This record gives sequence, structure tokens and C-alpha cells, in this order.
Amino acid sequence: MDVTMTYATQGIWTWWIAIYLYFGGLGAATLAVTFLTDMYLKPHRKLVLWGAGSGVVLLALGSLMLFTHLLDHRAVIHILNPLVLINQPTAWIAWGTQFIIWMMAWGVLYALPYVSETPALQRLPVIRQLLAQRLVRGIAGLVARHRKLVGWLAVINGVGVAVYTGLLLQSFPGVALWANPGVPLLFTVSAFSTAMAFLLLLMYTVIRDAADDVIRGLYERIDLVLIASKLVILASLFFYLQRGSESAMRSWELLWTDLGWLIGFIGFGLLVPFFLELRGVITGWATRMPIIAASVFGLTGGYLLRHYFMYAGVYAYPW
Amino acid sequence: MTHYAMVIDLNTCVGCNACMAACALENQTPVWDEHKWRTYVHDNEIGFGEDTHRRFFPRLCNHCDNPPCMTVCPTGATTKQPNGIVKVDQNLCMGCRACAMACPYHARVDVTYADVRRGRDFYGSDYRRRRPSVDKCSFCDHRVAKGQEPACVETCVGSARLFGDLDEPRDPVARMVASGVARPLLPHIGTRPSVYYIDDLRWRG
Amino acid sequence: MGWSLPRLSRRAFLKTTGYGTAGLSLLSPAGGFVGQAVGRDQVIEEVTYNICNFCSSLCNLKVTTHNRNGDKRIVKVDGNPHSTLNRGKLCARGQAGLRQTYDNDRIKTPLIRVEGSRRGEYAFRAATWEEAWDYIAKKTQEREIKPWEWTMVGGWTSCVFYMNWAVPFAMANEVPNIIASPMQHCVTTGHLGTDLVTGNFNIHDEILPDFDNAKYILFVANNASIGGVSTCRMVRFAQGRKNGAKVVALDPRCSETAAKADEWIRIRPGTDLAFMLALLRTLMTDNLYDAQFVERHTNLPFLLTRDEQGEWRLVTDDEGRPMVVADGTNDLHALPAFHHDNRRDIAGQTIVPALRAPQGLTVDGRPVATVFQAQLDEIAECTPEWAAEITGVPAETIARIAREFGTTRPAIVDPGWHGARFGNVLMLRRVQAMVQTLTGGIDSIGGWINSGEVHHKAAHMYQAYEKGKEIAAPMADLAGMHFAKMVIDAVSNGDNFSHGRPGWTWAWNAQEKAAGRFNVALPVMTDTGLRESVEGQVLWQGEPYLTRALVINAANPVRHYYPDTYWKETLSHENMDLVVLVDVLPSDTAPYADVILPNSTYLERSEPTVYGNGVNHDLAVTTRYAAIDPLYDTEEIADILLRLTEIISGNTDKFLDWVEMLTGLEAGPVKAVHARTRETHERGAFTAACREVSINQTAARIGTTPQRLDMVLRERGIYLEEDKHEVLSHWSMPRLMPVPTPSGRLEFYSGLLRSLRDAGHAEPNFNVLATYIPAECRVGLTMSDPLPPDEFYFTYGKSPTVSHGSTNSNNPVLWAINQFKDEIYKGVWIHPERAERLGIEHGDRIWLTNTKSGQRTDGRAYVTRLVHRDALFIYSSFGVENKALSRTHGEGTATSRLIPYQVEPVVAGFRSQEFTIKVAKA
Ligand SMILES: Nc1nc2c(c(=O)[nH]1)N[C@H]1C(S)=C(S)[C@@H](COP(=O)(O)OP(=O)(O)OC[C@H]3O[C@@H](n4cnc5c(=O)[nH]c(N)nc54)[C@H](O)[C@@H]3O)O[C@H]1N2
Ligand SMILES: Nc1nc2c(c(=O)[nH]1)N[C@H]1C(S)=C(S)[C@@H](COP(=O)(O)OP(=O)(O)OC[C@H]3O[C@@H](n4cnc5c(=O)[nH]c(N)nc54)[C@H](O)[C@@H]3O)O[C@H]1N2
Ligand code: SF4
Ligand code: SF4
Ligand code: SF4
Ligand code: SF4
Ligand code: SF4
Ligand SMILES: [Mo]
Repeated sequence: MDVTMTYATQGIWTWWIAIYLYFGGLGAATLAVTFLTDMYLKPHRKLVLWGAGSGVVLLALGSLMLFTHLLDHRAVIHILNPLVLINQPTAWIAWGTQFIIWMMAWGVLYALPYVSETPALQRLPVIRQLLAQRLVRGIAGLVARHRKLVGWLAVINGVGVAVYTGLLLQSFPGVALWANPGVPLLFTVSAFSTAMAFLLLLMYTVIRDAADDVIRGLYERIDLVLIASKLVILASLFFYLQRGSESAMRSWELLWTDLGWLIGFIGFGLLVPFFLELRGVITGWATRMPIIAASVFGLTGGYLLRHYFMYAGVYAYPW
Repeated sequence: MTHYAMVIDLNTCVGCNACMAACALENQTPVWDEHKWRTYVHDNEIGFGEDTHRRFFPRLCNHCDNPPCMTVCPTGATTKQPNGIVKVDQNLCMGCRACAMACPYHARVDVTYADVRRGRDFYGSDYRRRRPSVDKCSFCDHRVAKGQEPACVETCVGSARLFGDLDEPRDPVARMVASGVARPLLPHIGTRPSVYYIDDLRWRG
Repeated sequence: MGWSLPRLSRRAFLKTTGYGTAGLSLLSPAGGFVGQAVGRDQVIEEVTYNICNFCSSLCNLKVTTHNRNGDKRIVKVDGNPHSTLNRGKLCARGQAGLRQTYDNDRIKTPLIRVEGSRRGEYAFRAATWEEAWDYIAKKTQEREIKPWEWTMVGGWTSCVFYMNWAVPFAMANEVPNIIASPMQHCVTTGHLGTDLVTGNFNIHDEILPDFDNAKYILFVANNASIGGVSTCRMVRFAQGRKNGAKVVALDPRCSETAAKADEWIRIRPGTDLAFMLALLRTLMTDNLYDAQFVERHTNLPFLLTRDEQGEWRLVTDDEGRPMVVADGTNDLHALPAFHHDNRRDIAGQTIVPALRAPQGLTVDGRPVATVFQAQLDEIAECTPEWAAEITGVPAETIARIAREFGTTRPAIVDPGWHGARFGNVLMLRRVQAMVQTLTGGIDSIGGWINSGEVHHKAAHMYQAYEKGKEIAAPMADLAGMHFAKMVIDAVSNGDNFSHGRPGWTWAWNAQEKAAGRFNVALPVMTDTGLRESVEGQVLWQGEPYLTRALVINAANPVRHYYPDTYWKETLSHENMDLVVLVDVLPSDTAPYADVILPNSTYLERSEPTVYGNGVNHDLAVTTRYAAIDPLYDTEEIADILLRLTEIISGNTDKFLDWVEMLTGLEAGPVKAVHARTRETHERGAFTAACREVSINQTAARIGTTPQRLDMVLRERGIYLEEDKHEVLSHWSMPRLMPVPTPSGRLEFYSGLLRSLRDAGHAEPNFNVLATYIPAECRVGLTMSDPLPPDEFYFTYGKSPTVSHGSTNSNNPVLWAINQFKDEIYKGVWIHPERAERLGIEHGDRIWLTNTKSGQRTDGRAYVTRLVHRDALFIYSSFGVENKALSRTHGEGTATSRLIPYQVEPVVAGFRSQEFTIKVAKA
């Protein structure tokens, strides 16, 4: 049929979803990385508290974004019920919601023993009262005994959240930019990359312990690999979109003609941190500022990626 | 089995918009917002130079057999009935609009709290909506259940909209689809629509 | 977020081929089935039947109401599935119609102008009916307004549904002045052209072409009459197209109808007559006509001769009967003056009348020619090449279409509906009817078919004539031009009134004629002379014949007459003592009223009578049943006219007598029932009484009981008397009985125009045969002379979602659709090549200036290749000013702000496109 095409970007899921996806990925990956570090590299109370804390807060904020934009808030009840996974196994939001809930739950539990060891937190009224309860103390003990099990449950759910943010977009078949296997990959890698940046930022600012240099070095190296992978995925996206379907080509046009995407995201969000970190790994920096800058750029880039992804998805309508 | 389907014959759609009006009143859509319809009739200029045409293009939910809107729906509000109709349950839907993102046919609209309030005033005691939700064409399943045609089909002055059952080989709609004269939109996406179009340009010139 | 990507919304045209075949696999649905279980209050659903009130297509309606906890609401209006007229379908206006009833802008009580405010301000206070009546009565007495100083202004609603009360009202109160808004736009200007040939004259069209069965369909300046939308025509056209009919549409822009054509002919505005004359000529010269049919049933074989002045006159015998020459002979035969078949002369001899008289034939020493020959001679120069120059359509295309049309059977050229536009439209429609006649496609399958009602009326009229009987109820029983003549006689002849005055329009035009100035021959129900009458320039026996009071019902002249200032100024004139307006919504005329009387909406009304079924080929009757009680304190038209009669003349008995005399509705029974209904009905008592009697009388005519008629109408909305095949089998016109022309034949030579010429009307518009009349958009220039870069011809047409300049652009559902299509519906269509030269882009605000009158208004450019390079186009549906129409006011460009007062001389048809417009970027 001879058709008139209308190309349209959407105004349904906009910046607030970008934030949801960003905070979701960042929070979950941060939590997972800190717990893994704590379990296998070096028990690190501060790191866990920061990781679990920011993970939970970021996810809560992200989820709040989604929640406030619902048309019917009451009906959210249907996805809080874990049975949703049996009823709606194909819906990534169902999985995502459950991952988020359980990641937060296991994350808090994992951190619980550390909380009770932390005087600063115990001074906080609510926490003090909670910790005073027998049940809570019992649970903390239980968690301490099964630390790795709880840790892995949190990590699995965390990784789930990070992967989910990409799978969600991939499930929208009308938009070529989203509906391709590169997207979950890109989002997962990006989630972990931003988590690295976030943790590096923490470790160069609030948790400034010289003993952690190994961890820092490791994180920098991991981040380098992650950024490199992102560049590879982006390159493949570039070619996939450029010669793709109507939808793909329009997205390509939108992205690769936009300075925000080219300079903001690819330039400052990927290349600049990459080279800053590369130099850090190879020759080292005299001050911490370059890595702090790299982290801030990386974090910003993480948001930009999601922002552009939401806005540059093009529907090609045959009318 | 029954598999409801619609064929839209672009050769006789005159862009009168009767279907839009009929649908709006039958299904109590938020007409106070000109962007929120269950069905639209686009009015496009196509062709080049002197070879210009005016094409009216009615569209609505395609009641896909493989509906991405349903697979992404976390609450179970979107379901596919055994008769092929894809439905939204306003009581289950939380309005996350994942379905709207997933739908390649731009078939879904938001009904907000404000719309529900307006609706009570506008449609009065007959207003059937209770909760906000995402909304879309239902193939007028409430009419179909009574043996009636969808409102837009019944009133279509060009008989451009035809409704039928694909599983009934003698049904004219089934025959048009089987013969290939009526074809779906964006088949490559794999949604397997139940709405088919008969092209208008081949007839001319 | 301060920044975001630009939103993409772009279109491109792709030619993609080979969408895979429709493979269907029935995936069983995943996910749980969630049943619907909503507890609801009990709903009682009821169905009543009604008639749409948004255009004179008169679609039959099925109205569904829901009664929930005692609140009964209309929830849906659908096409009546039992109706063969609209086949269960409705257009957007019909569908959305119920929202007129629930429009919160409705006039809910009588309104009286606020003391101290002036006409033009929408400043009213709510009043009771008694206050309103008192106000009118007091003004009438105080100012001593005489009956003839009243004028009624009515829209099509008042014509179609209440003519049976409006005309008797005029006669009883001796108010000889009626302006009917469809006349100058449409009924007389367009239809009269058709009617000169076919003899029809119904209030709102009478011919429904049988598109279902046509093989070739030609549309000339049609759109709202078909696809944009007249439902009864569109449903048939769609079937015809599905059956493979070839469709050609002449239109300067790609209308909804043209968009469905195989060929859209971008004709230069105002030049269709040239195209059609070339077509007519081709059919005649190439013998592409149904010779048998035209010999027998038209006046083409009649002999003509030229008189001393060179005027064509019929050759007649001593008794004034037409003469023909028998084919292949020189034998003259006289034919019956009024008959449908030329095959039998007055002596009863069977003949074949010749279409071409032998060379050199003379009668009484004068050379004679047949009408056929004279007509062909008249248009001898109208070749396709000639028409090509004028129309801008290539000669080959014209010649090809003429041949295709002439060789394909059955073929239809649609009669056309809206007239006006150009002084030559009456002639254009006349030529279209001639072309159709040549195909033999009158009252035939796949051709034009008269309505069941027209057949029925004509048949009964002829029976009465044959029996030498007086026509008992002329308004009910006279068909076609016979009816028109009766109405003209009633108001143009002062002898019908004790005050001796004809309508002021007749007085004014006679006065102008006497002075040798431009005047109108048949100003039937027009506004020519209104302003002059208000200003005191119309004289009657030396005295000013003033118009001092108006009652405007269901009309909105400020919006749909031209120009708006004519009406605004006339209505605000100091001589105007009283303006009474009856409407359902506050139109743009409402601010100029003193008293506004609210009418019930159509869904709240049970009509005072039973009606025919519009243009339906089937013979059927129908009526309205109120779906709900009136929501507000509203009244019915018949009751309003009765009450006004009390005030104007006090002579209500005479009103009832006139109703009986003209329509046959018996006064005695009406009075008796009214005495009863007055007790039971607070409003609409008279209407209810008339209805009861009407149902009784209709039942008696049809041969059934009132109970049964009522029951069938309640259950089906339609009482079918005879279907189309039965109707045609005994009443086919002209095959079996005369058409309602003066001669009973389809007329090429027009006797009516002959008499108007004899009365001194010499313009080509009065030509007794078809002839060319150029449109004059620029003084002294032809239509094919090049236009300056910023100058355009002006065209307009109705949008599918609005009626005329009516108030339904305020209907919330239609309003929303119009918003959705905002640019297309409310923009000024302009061709991109022309726009570019003027630096105008899509959406730009532009100034439009009428080069003839200087009128100026603005609009927004809609740049599209779907309009002729020489023309601008706007949908004539918008431009509402009254803020009381809360949704629609301020939208679009009003035609009445661009169109000057310009009328043609036959019936004062508006020459509403006969000028050019200069365009400039605002
Ligand atoms: N601008 C513009 N002017 C036009 C036309 C156009 O398309 N555009 N078309 C021309 C043509 S072809 C025609 S036939 C005429 C028709 O002109 P009209 O016959 O006058 O028709 P409308 O404009 O539809 O309606 C006039 C008024 O009737 C009121 N009305 C509607 N329903 C009812 C009712 O039930 N009772 C009462 N009492 N009033 C009611 C409306 O509110 C409106 O104010 O207009 C002509 N003038
Ligand atoms: N939607 C809608 N439908 C209606 C009505 C309504 O108000 N609204 N009213 C009913 C009534 S009363 C009437 S009279 C009919 C009117 O029915 P139509 O006469 O069909 O009505 P319009 O839409 O006014 O005009 C038809 C077409 O004429 C084109 N045109 C303008 N100038 C020229 C010209 O010079 N040459 C040619 N060839 N074409 C030209 C216009 O572009 C337009 O597309 O519609 C009836 N149906
Ligand atoms: S058209 Fe869209 S909303 Fe309708 S079934 Fe298909 S995907 Fe779902
Ligand atoms: S908006 Fe409603 S129907 Fe759509 S996916 Fe969300 S819950 Fe399902
Ligand atoms: S089938 Fe019903 S709900 Fe769907 S577009 Fe038609 S009228 Fe609207
Ligand atoms: S009702 Fe029919 S003809 Fe009119 S716009 Fe809708 S699909 Fe087209
Ligand atoms: S064509 Fe439309 S507006 Fe006219 S009578 Fe029919 S439904 Fe009503
Ligand atoms: Mo009209």
C-alpha cells in the first residue's frame, strides 16, 4: 500500500521516566557493587551503608516519579502483589517493581548488621527505636549468619533492576531505537558504569580512606572497560539505526545531529571520563580532581543517555 | 471460534468524521480534549505536483493478535479476549502507559482524574466510567455482544468500515482479508493486526 | 528540565510495495481473563424515533434514552435502521446532534433585552413567557405596528417542518412578507434551474439520484450535497463506487467528494457552465442521447420560430397547443398542451416527432426549427476547445469526459444543490438537468429518481385536474412548479390582502423596474428591498411601505446572508421597532433581537404533523417523537405562531381556517382537541392538538387506523406506503405521467422564462434556451485573463461537521473534531506556488480584501496543492462572533464578512463568489 508516513516522537514517557530509569539503574548497580565488594573484596561497613542507603533512596525517588505520573494511583496495588509475576510474566514493569521491592528489602537487611554497628545511625531516633526491638535484633543476627545469601539476593534483584530498565524499553516494538537487543545491554553497562562513577565520587569525597586505594583502582579499571563497552554498543547502534527501518533512521537523524547527544553525552559523558580514567590507570593523577570530574561527567552522561533515549524514540505511523 | 476484525476501505471513506462522533458518544470519550479519541480520521495530502490526492485515513486500535500493549501491561488490565478483542479494564489499569509506549499504532489515550470529573458533568447520570485509566477502542464489545455492529461501523456513511469474523469463511470481511485485497498496517512489526485496509490509490488514474 | 529535544512531527510520502500477505495465526491470548463485574444502578433503556434537524437530508433517527434513578437522558442517536432513506446511517452532525439538547449555552428561558442596551449587544434578562408575550404585545400596540410592517424570516427548519403553519400565519395575519434563508442561497438559485427542466419544486430538493446503480457519475460543484455530507446520497454513492462506477468531479479544490472521484477536474471557479455547455453540445452533435426518450418526453421536438424582435416563440395551433413535425415528413401535428408523451397528437394519431425539422420548413410563412435545433444553434460555438480556454481544463479532457458520459449508461450528472456563487448557476443547473434528460435517466434505475412524495403529490394533482376538481389543500396537494406558482401568487399579489399590499420585495422590485433600474423578476422570499423597506424607500401608493418588526425563526441572517453589515445595520435601524427571535442557541443574530423565544430542540419535540420521507424514492411517512421532556422552559413553533397571531391580528380562528384551506388540516377537530390539550399541556398544547388531528387524517388517507399509524411510527419511525419499484411502476415521470412543468414534458425551452422575458427581463439569465453567461469576477475582464500575483478567485463550501452558518459549530463533539482538523477546516486554502510568491507560509495570518467591495477580514493560511492555483477556498462554517456560543466564537473566517450584496436578476440568487480577493501577509 502506498502510505503517508508520519514520524512522531512521544510525549508520554518523558524526563520523569528518564529519571526513573536513571535512578533505578544507578541505585541498583551501586548497591550490587558495594555488596559484592563487601562480600568478596573487603568487608566495608561504610561502603555498604552508602551503597545500600543511596540504592534505596535512589530507587524510592525513581519509583516515586513513576508513581506520581500514574493515572490511577490506587490501582498500583495490583503490581505490588508478588503474584503479579505469575499473572503478568511478560510485563517487565511487573518484574521491575518486584526487583525493586525485593532489592530494597534484601538491601536493607544486608545492611542491618552494619547499621547496628554504626553509632552515628543509632543516634537517629526512628532507627534507634527500631534497632531496640527484639525482632529487628533477631533479624540482624540471622542476616549476619547468612550474609552471603542475603547479599546475593540483594545483588540478584539489583542486577535485575539494572537489566530491567533496558528490557522495558526493548519491549516497545514500534520504536527501533528501543526495540533492539543492544538496549538492555547498553542500559545495564551504563547502570554499572554510573555506579562506578558514583562510588568513585563517594570514595574520593566522603569515604576518603587511603586503605581503599585498591578498590578505587579496581573501580576505575572496571569503569574503563564499561565505558569502552558502551562505546562499542553505541557504535553498533549507530550503524544499526543509520541503515535501519523508517523509525530507526529518524532516531538516528535526531541523535546524531544533536549537539547535546554528540558533545554532551558521547563527548563529556563517555570520552572525557574515559580518557581521564585511562590516564589515571596508566600514569595516575596528582590530585583527585580529575577522577572526581570524570565521575561527575560519567553520572551526567548516564542521565543524558536515558533522556535522549526517551525523546529520540520515533514512531513511524503509516498515515 | 470467532475472531472479530475490521476492514477499512479507503476507496469510500469521505472523511466525514461520523465515526469519530459516533464513537465518542457511544463510548463516552473525553471529547473536551480534541486529542483524545478512540478513533481518528486523518486528512492527508499525498502525491507530488499535479498528481495530488486527498486521502482520508481512519484509524483505531488494531486489536492485534500479538499485542505488545498486552505483553507489557503489568496490572493485567489489558487482555485479549478469545474473540480477538483487546480490552482494557478500567478497574485494574493504573495508567502507567507502558501500553501506549508499546503500541505502534498510537491507539491509546489517557483518561485522567480531571477527565473523569468532566465526564460526570458532561455525560451526566449515564456516565459509565468510574476510574481514570488508559483507554482505547474496544471494538464496541458491548454492542457486539448484543449482536450489533460497532458504532463507527454502523454509522459509516461510506460503508468504508466493515466489521466481521475472520473465522467465518463466508463473511465478506474474512474473504477480503483472505484474498489479500485488505492488508494490515506495519505487518513487519509482528503485531498481527485485526484491522485491515483496502488501498485507494491503485484504483485511480 | 529546561531543555529537551525538539519534538519530531514530520510527514513524508512513501511508496512501499509488497506488504506481506495477511498471514493470520490465531494466538491464544495470554494473560488472565478478567471478567467485568461492576454493580450498577438499574438502567431502563428506551428507543424513540425522530428526524435529524441539521440539514434537509432529513435523516431518520433512532434515539436511545437511559433512565437511571429517574433521570432520563438521551444517550445516543443513530440512524433509524428501518429507514431506506439513510439506511441506518448518520453523518457526524447527526451523530453529535444530541449534544445540541445538552449544550450548556442553550437559550433556556425567554429573554428580554436589558433596558438601555442597544441591538448588537448580547444583553438580556431572563423572563417568563407571559412577560415576553406582554413585551411583544405592548410594543406592537404602542408603536402601532401594522400587519404588513411585519416580516418573517425563516431558516430551512421553519420551511421544512413548519411551512404548514408559517404560510397560513402570513395569510391570516395579512403579513405578506417572508424571507426564507435557503431561497437565495440554494432552493431558487440552484434548484430552480433544475426545476425549469423537470418541473419540480420542493422546499429542499426533490431528486435523489440512484447512484447505487449508476455506471458513470459526474459531479459539478458538489460536496456537502454528497460526501460532505448528505447521508442519503452518500450511502448510495458509496455503493455505486463499490460497484465500480466511474466518478468525475468538477471542483476548484479537492473536496471530500472529489477525493473519492477517479478524476478530480480542477476547474477554474465560475466556469462550469462552459464545461457543461460543451458537454451538452457534444451529446447533441454526436447523437449521444436517448433519442426515443427525448422525442417522446421532452419539448425538444416542439417547433419554434423567431418573432419580429428575434425572440424564440413556440409554434402553436389556435388553441395554443405546441406543434411538432413528424419524423421524415413535413407534416405538422399539434400536441396536447399538457401531456407526458409526444407520440400522440391531438387527433389521437400516433406519430414520431422529429428532433430535427427538415431544412427550410416554414409555418405560416415563418421559418421554424425544433427546440433541439434552436438549442444546438444557440450553443454552436460551445466546443470543447472553446470551453478549454474558459475553464482551464484541456479540450481533450472535456471531449473525453463528454464522450464517456454520453456512451456509458446509466450515467448521472448530479443536479447540484447549493446554488448562489455566480449569476450563471441557475443556468448551470438547468444545463445539468438537460444533460441528464438527454441520457433518458429521469425516473429510471441508475438515473435521477423523484422522491416518493413528489410522485404521490403529482399523481393526485393530475387526478384532481382530470376530474376538473378544485385543489382542496394546495400546500399539501400541489406538486412542483404548480406549488411554487401558488406560493408566489399568494405573496406577490396585494389583492390577496385587505390592505392591498404585496410583499415589500415585490413592491420594491416593481418600483425599481419602473425606474429602469436593476430588479429581480421572481424575488420569492428574498431580502431584496428589506433595507430599503426599513429605511422607508419602498413606496406603496406614494406612502412608505415600512418594515418595522421582524420575527426570525431558526435563521441566522447575520452569519448566513451577505454581507453581515447589511443585516447588522438593518436590524439596528431606528425604524426597526421590534425584533423577535426564535432559536435554540444564541446565534450571531441573537444580539440584534429585542426578545428571544426559546424553542425546544428537535429531540424534545413531538411535531405538529406527519411528514413525507424527504427525498426517499420509497413513499413513506414519518414524524418526530420527543425522546425526553423539554429540559428548559421552551415552546413549540406552532404554538408560538398561534400566540403571535393573537397579538398581531387577534384572529386565531382565521389562522386555523387558513391552515385548513392551505394544508387540509381540519380546523374544527383541531379546535376541539386544543380545548383538551390546553388543560394537559403547559406548553405545546396547540402543537399536540394539530398532531393528534394530523395523525387521524393521515391514517384515513393511508387507509389505516390512527392507532396503528401511531404504533408503527413509534416502533419503526417510518410508515412505508409503497417502495420505489411500486412507485415507479405506476407513477414514473415522464414515462407514465407528466412531470410538473407547465407542459408536462421535460423542458429545454422554458415557458416560464418566456413569460419573464415578455415582462421585460432581457438579461441572458432569462434566455428561453440554454446559453452561456460568463461570470464577472472582475469588471471588464474574463475569467481566463491572468490574475495579478496577489489576487485570487474566491470559493467556499460546507464542512462535513457543521451546518451552514448554524450554531452547531458550538456542539462540543463537532467542535472537538473541528479542533482536531483545525488547519484544514478553519484555514484559508491557498496553493503553495502562489503562497510562496507572496511570502506566505502555512499557518501565517493573512489579510483578505474583496477587490469589488473593499470588505476586509483575516484568516490563517492553509497551504495546499489541493486547491486551484487561481482560487482561495474556505469552509463556510465558521466565524461566529457571539461569545455566548462559548466554544466556537472567534474561530475561522466568516464568509459574510467578505461577500458583498450582489444578486442575479431571476430570483435574487447571491453572486457570492463573483469577485476576487487580494491576499497579503498580516
Ligand atoms: N456562512 C454560511 N452561510 C450560508 C451557508 C453556508 O454554508 N455558510 N449555506 C447557505 C445555504 S445552502 C442554506 S440552505 C442556508 C441555510 O440557512 P438556515 O436555514 O438559516 O440554516 P442554519 O444556519 O442551519 O440554522 C439557522 C438557525 O437555526 C437555529 N436552529 C437550529 N435548530 C433549531 C430548532 O430546532 N428550532 C429553532 N427555532 N431554531 C433552530 C440555529 O441555531 C441557527 O441559528 O444558509 C446559507 N448561508
Ligand atoms: N455538512 C453539511 N452538509 C450539508 C449541509 C450543511 O450545512 N453542512 N447543508 C445541506 C444543504 S442545505 C445544501 S444546499 C447542500 C449543499 O451542498 P453543496 O452544494 O454540495 O455544497 P458546498 O459544500 O457549499 O459546495 C460544493 C463544492 O463546490 C465547490 N465550488 C465552489 N465554487 C465552485 C465553482 O465555481 N465550480 C465548481 N465546480 N465547484 C465550486 C466547493 O469547493 C465545494 O467543494 O448541503 C447539504 N448538506
Ligand atoms: S493497536 Fe495498539 S493498543 Fe491495539 S492491540 Fe495493537 S498494540 Fe494494543
Ligand atoms: S496503563 Fe493500564 S493498561 Fe496500560 S500497561 Fe499500564 S496498567 Fe496496563
Ligand atoms: S469499534 Fe467502537 S470503540 Fe472502536 S473505534 Fe469503533 S466505535 Fe470506537
Ligand atoms: S464514517 Fe466512514 S466515511 Fe466517514 S470518516 Fe468515518 S470511516 Fe470515513
Ligand atoms: S445528512 Fe447529517 S445532518 Fe443531514 S439530516 Fe442526515 S444526519 Fe442530519
Ligand atoms: Mo442549502
